[in-house]
Amino acid sequence: MADPARVKNEQATESTSAEKSLQVENAAEASSGTKAPVVSEATTEQVTLKDEDRMRLIKDEDEEEGPSSAPRPPLKKIKVEPDKKKEKRHKIDEDEIQKMQVLVSSFSEEQLNRYEMYRRSAFPKAAIKRLIQSITGSSVSQNVVIAMSGISKVFAGEIVEEALDVCEKWGDTPPLQPKHMREAVRRLKSREQIPNTKHKRILFH
Amino acid sequence: MAEEDDDPGFDEELDDGGNGIDSGHGKRKRLFSKELRCMMYGFGDDQNPYTESVDILEDLVIEFITEMTHKAMSIGRQGRVQVEDIVFLIRKDPRKFARVKDLLTMNEELKRARKAFDEANYGS
Repeated sequence: MADPARVKNEQATESTSAEKSLQVENAAEASSGTKAPVVSEATTEQVTLKDEDRMRLIKDEDEEEGPSSAPRPPLKKIKVEPDKKKEKRHKIDEDEIQKMQVLVSSFSEEQLNRYEMYRRSAFPKAAIKRLIQSITGSSVSQNVVIAMSGISKVFAGEIVEEALDVCEKWGDTPPLQPKHMREAVRRLKSREQIPNTKHKRILFH
Repeated sequence: MAEEDDDPGFDEELDDGGNGIDSGHGKRKRLFSKELRCMMYGFGDDQNPYTESVDILEDLVIEFITEMTHKAMSIGRQGRVQVEDIVFLIRKDPRKFARVKDLLTMNEELKRARKAFDEANYGS
């Protein structure tokens, strides 16, 4: 999945406290670290957007690879990829990134706000970790917490989207009411998108 | 049944025990109220979502996490929750599966970047 917030990772000028998740792919691809990958305290699933970073959503700089001491041309990557498939996937990623950038650059103020909330919101890792550990009784690794919070966010999104569908279908207006949420849950349950192990099915009755 | 939720006397401490979705969790302290509000706005709800809706969503999320954890404990290595178990449980749901893969990949890249940065710093 392409990350539209891929940021141009120029030379040291960029190594401010800018969010590293925006520069992840660039930093990771730099094999010899001639540029300082920006490392801050950003978490993986939060692409935090400061005001100047919003502009970075729009700019697109390709990743730069390979060891080089000379100043690199800031534009197209000129590298020979041994794997054709990877190159094709890069191209598709590039297209998607550019499309996303065109889209985001044409957002209204309100849409930008909502998009920022969509990208930025996340469940607190500490609370999730505490919750999982209280259920298992033993400690869990960090990756588990990351995966679980990510999935939970997607789950919450599915419910809200379904509830918005219900709301629109019933001719109501946005602030979602509990009745919409419940109807959404009922629909998702019938599609088996909500896990339910409470009902014990007897096999041979 | 559809109209009962419009009752202005709805108290977020008490749950209408008749519904299996939000029964029994009323007394617990709210863990995700702030974050869930932002999330609901991001997903399309109003800028100020109703507190009752946020509560219902929180209960659902906690139940989801609980179910996944229990399932993960019962497969793979028993009694422990590991990433492979979660990925296995999610395999049928394309959205969640893709999301988990992305998150874990990004995390790996970040760790690598951090490591490279530290080594670069160490040299200077």
